[in-house]
Amino acid sequence: MEAKRIKFERTGGFAGIRLAADIKLDDLPQEQVHQILELLDDLDFDQLPEQLTDNRQVADGFTYSVTVISEKRQHTVTTSETAAPEKMSSMFEILTQIARQQARKKK
Amino acid sequence: MHHHRNPIHCILPPHVLKEIVANGTETQKQTALDTINASVVLRAERSKMAEYRMEFAAATIQAITGGKERIIYDAQNGSSLPGPAVRKEGEPPVGDVAVNEAYDGSGWTYDLYNDIYGRNSIDGKGMRLDSTVHYQRNYDNAFWDGKQMVYGDGDGELFNRFTIAIDVMGHELTHGVTQYEAKLTYSQQPGALNESMSDVFGSLVKQYSLKQTAVEADWLIGQGLLAAGVNGVALRSMKAPGTAYDDPVLGKDPQPAHMKDYVNTISDNGGVHINSGIPNHAFYVVATQIGGSAWEKAGQIWYVTLRDKLTSNSNFQDCANLTYQAAADLFGANSLEQQAVLKGWSEVGIDATATGGGTTPAPGCLGSLLKLIGAA
Repeated sequence: MEAKRIKFERTGGFAGIRLAADIKLDDLPQEQVHQILELLDDLDFDQLPEQLTDNRQVADGFTYSVTVISEKRQHTVTTSETAAPEKMSSMFEILTQIARQQARKKK
Repeated sequence: MHHHRNPIHCILPPHVLKEIVANGTETQKQTALDTINASVVLRAERSKMAEYRMEFAAATIQAITGGKERIIYDAQNGSSLPGPAVRKEGEPPVGDVAVNEAYDGSGWTYDLYNDIYGRNSIDGKGMRLDSTVHYQRNYDNAFWDGKQMVYGDGDGELFNRFTIAIDVMGHELTHGVTQYEAKLTYSQQPGALNESMSDVFGSLVKQYSLKQTAVEADWLIGQGLLAAGVNGVALRSMKAPGTAYDDPVLGKDPQPAHMKDYVNTISDNGGVHINSGIPNHAFYVVATQIGGSAWEKAGQIWYVTLRDKLTSNSNFQDCANLTYQAAADLFGANSLEQQAVLKGWSEVGIDATATGGGTTPAPGCLGSLLKLIGAA
């Protein structure tokens, strides 16, 4: 699917501070869009279960929720950070950076 | 070459020596340790591999006595754990401040638990303390993954490196202790208690390292973590929950200090980092009421409660009752210490009682049967 918009939320963590962003891909630099789409493709994001969990007894870990919206459908994946595959962690790093930039602009 | 021989040298097999080290009197332990050393030295002389053998002897003694053992790893900004080891127990400081802070912070935490509460590491059995620094890039967090501690460098604009505050190391390591003891579920009130225990002992590690009394301590969690330009002094305040920061980007510290302000939310596992302000403040009041070093009496009451009394689904009321009972066990009913516990919980809107709050026993055979037929 051709993603148009991504809703991103990070909660929990040692600080317990929520970070969220509503990202329109058209607003991002071309290179960053390409990077995100490639990661979504590699992850086969649409086919991922809605919840990713593992058996680790994590404390202070982040919980991430990503909703990818295209013209025809949307899909949300929520995961603890230790349950996320490595490519998803890479995507979280990019989305976190964008969310921080958005938060600073609002300031 | 002539050696003075102790009678037990060369007679007792290693497993017997281990037993003596574990269970003997101080003199017997020392003799057994000398024996291990001496026998290794003899073998080393014979084989001309003295250096290797001495290292082996040190490692053997370490393994038998289960002392402080730390390893710091470097994730090199990746997500793989633990990453390559960069500093091991007994090695001198390296040229990386995060590595040295993680080493020192986990050391102080080990010392507080060992020296004051007689606890040998996270599991009580000398578990090695593994910490990874430089996790991911610009990572604004520190966490316990069930086996080890993990620290990020922060993004530099909102957060500095997470090893900057010694209480963060104490906090993360205490999650390990809780995992081995009360096993508090990481959600809602048990989760907030889990978080509070980590803040309490994190702060006590800081106070212990600085030799501060309860009155002298700042009772801040994560002082120095907020980057320059952020409006705040720390991430949490046990003395005055809700006042640690108020910033246009980060928002305002959401912690309540009283049950009337309890925050109901599904976020953050049911607000585990938010409502922990309530038991945090109770501990602060107890410690300052008692006075002196907070780790001595207030810390002892909380430690015994964490180790022996709390269970996985304990709530705030249970914790109040159980700390009240622990204070009586340790210092006597109606002692000043027990009165301080009562006052601490009262200030956050919880009346501690001398009964209740213990384990809810699983129903026995008869109980299960009665439940099944609806009679109980």
